[in-house]
Amino acid sequence: MTTTVPDSARATSRPDYAALIEPSRVHGSLYTDPRVFADELERIWYRSWVFVGHESEVPESGDYVRKSIGPQDIIMTRGRDGDVHLVFNRCAHRGNLVCEDARGNANAFRCPYHGWTYRNTGELLGYPYNKGYGGKGNLDLSLGRVPRVDSYRGFVFASLAEDGPTLAEHLGAAAGEIDRLARLSPEGRIDLGAGWLQHRTRANWKLLAENETDGYHPQFVHSSIFSVTGSPIGPLYSDNSTAVTRDLGNGHSENDLRPEFRRHGETLRWFGTSESRVPNYVARMREAYGEAAEDILVEGAPHVMIFPNLFIAEIQVFVIQPLSVDECVQHSTAVQLGGAEELNSRMVSQSIGSVGPAGMLLADDTEMYERNQRGLEMRQPEWLDIRRGMHREALDEDGYRTGAATDETGIRGFWTHYRRLMEVDT
Amino acid sequence: MTAVTDSPLTLRQVEEFLYREARYADEHDYDAWEALWTDDALYWVPAGDATSDPATSMSIIHDNRNRISTRLNQLRTGKRYSQSPPSNLRRILSNIEILGVAGGDTEVGANFVLVESTSRGMETWAGRTTYRLRVVDGEVRLAYKKVLLVNRDQPIRTMAFLI
Amino acid sequence: MSERDSNTGDAHDVTPYAPGAGTVRVDDSGGGIVGNEFAEVGVAVDHSGNGPRLRLEDYRTGRVRNLDALELETIIWLPEERLTQLLDPSTTRWREEPDR
Ligand code: FES
Ligand SMILES: [Fe+2]
Repeated sequence: MTTTVPDSARATSRPDYAALIEPSRVHGSLYTDPRVFADELERIWYRSWVFVGHESEVPESGDYVRKSIGPQDIIMTRGRDGDVHLVFNRCAHRGNLVCEDARGNANAFRCPYHGWTYRNTGELLGYPYNKGYGGKGNLDLSLGRVPRVDSYRGFVFASLAEDGPTLAEHLGAAAGEIDRLARLSPEGRIDLGAGWLQHRTRANWKLLAENETDGYHPQFVHSSIFSVTGSPIGPLYSDNSTAVTRDLGNGHSENDLRPEFRRHGETLRWFGTSESRVPNYVARMREAYGEAAEDILVEGAPHVMIFPNLFIAEIQVFVIQPLSVDECVQHSTAVQLGGAEELNSRMVSQSIGSVGPAGMLLADDTEMYERNQRGLEMRQPEWLDIRRGMHREALDEDGYRTGAATDETGIRGFWTHYRRLMEVDT
Repeated sequence: MTAVTDSPLTLRQVEEFLYREARYADEHDYDAWEALWTDDALYWVPAGDATSDPATSMSIIHDNRNRISTRLNQLRTGKRYSQSPPSNLRRILSNIEILGVAGGDTEVGANFVLVESTSRGMETWAGRTTYRLRVVDGEVRLAYKKVLLVNRDQPIRTMAFLI
Repeated sequence: MSERDSNTGDAHDVTPYAPGAGTVRVDDSGGGIVGNEFAEVGVAVDHSGNGPRLRLEDYRTGRVRNLDALELETIIWLPEERLTQLLDPSTTRWREEPDR
């Protein structure tokens, strides 16, 4: 593969990230250089907090699902203790995959190669013909356990580093966006059990992460579907929009559409529906939240990218899974809200229409990612420009950097955090 | 479902219809393809577990007649970038069987292999399709098409063409 | 078991254990299959004796065991560690000593 690396970076074995990442531009090799990808695995994917799955995917004791941390195959299980556990899908004997099915229910896993048997929390329960090991219980081995597992409102995150910032520290202001999603449920409960679409994408994962809160592209990439459906989404991302792009810190960013929805002041406009279509839902919300329900129903769901791989796009959740420098998988599902049956079937239907390999929105984003990846293999002009809106950024009342709806404020926030992680010496 | 022999259509008529539908899809003849559908149409491509309820679980495509129109209208804009330029497509249908008759509709099963060429390479698609065909005013029409991709439980490439 | 887990399938689908989904399905005789990727066991209440008993069949080997009510109650009361010990492959099936 052709990569362009400036001279300053060529000399050392590791790319010089300070030279590749500037406030208003980033170097193309960051998307094409396999060394950069190898570094990212060590410094981001295998160290920082990464979203893995949602507790609602393993509701019952013994439930398991196969998940991932980048290219790593992880099993998420619900133990008899009721807790969610993450173990590597690798037998402690000679390394076979222990689970082959995408999901199932099992309190114990038995490796198909030589029959070693594990509790679904990773503990080795035994092995066949134990005289070969001098009897039973003689091996101090287990499935690999993810060092740190924590969850926020059911969203399960993993860190493969023994220590580092806590999940709460990592999420920071982004936690409030998850709260915003949860309070759209009259029970305050999010369910991500509707199944995941898996979309293979020939692009570097960062192109996806940057695009998630890029308010500059929708009018172009999605004009075909906006014009056909008369969707009100387009105007949210224009120069006339009062929506803002916000750098939430730690690489997280959002398109805050609330100013636009508040301006209209219509209940459920954010979801393209009205109170009369979902009366039971609205009644339950008013019962649950009282006066606050009106604001919640007007302001709608968040549009937030949580570094490095969780994107909540109002009624959908996406997970970005990098496989190599130029290949990744997008996983997408519909948000389901506890006690919101009227909304849930609509959210599934709308999500099927929008996301995944045939989605009327996401197939076109993905087309851009893949063309973008190909474009970045060209040698000139080497840099990607990310300065849009720098001159008109301001700090909001909470101290977060905020730009206009179409500004690249979120992308710059991504790179600030990325550079911090990548520059750390191991 | 009643016996195969009760089908109002012969196997030859069925084949002619399926080949035509396949050709319209391969050649991006959106008007002709759309005209094949009945008003109560369902165009469904399940994901993962093919037995799950499309009302509560994600599918790759689950289009009623309205959404088929939306999908085609988006393609017709010429700015559906994932199909602009359109993929070069050819599919082979085989193992065509009349499975039975339900409510006047003839249910048909067939296997397919489809080769897609784009500027980024060749992609092979394969699967099993179940069709429900209905004779309306003397014309064969398509009421239902369910496509079970062989790799529906795996990550798949963009599939913005008509499968 | 949630509805999602039941394998109703297409009309032509008769696979007892659906990979990736797990299976609890009641068959015509009132029995069922409890299957995952690690084991597959047929479960039925057998009425051929003077009283009912649970008939379990390991589909991978054909081995059958019948359990009466008291045996079942005992399993329910088995401490977690005892059950865990039984899952050690050397405890039961795969051991050097012949069956007693
Ligand atoms: S590799 Fe798993 S038991 Fe041998
Ligand atoms: Fe987009």
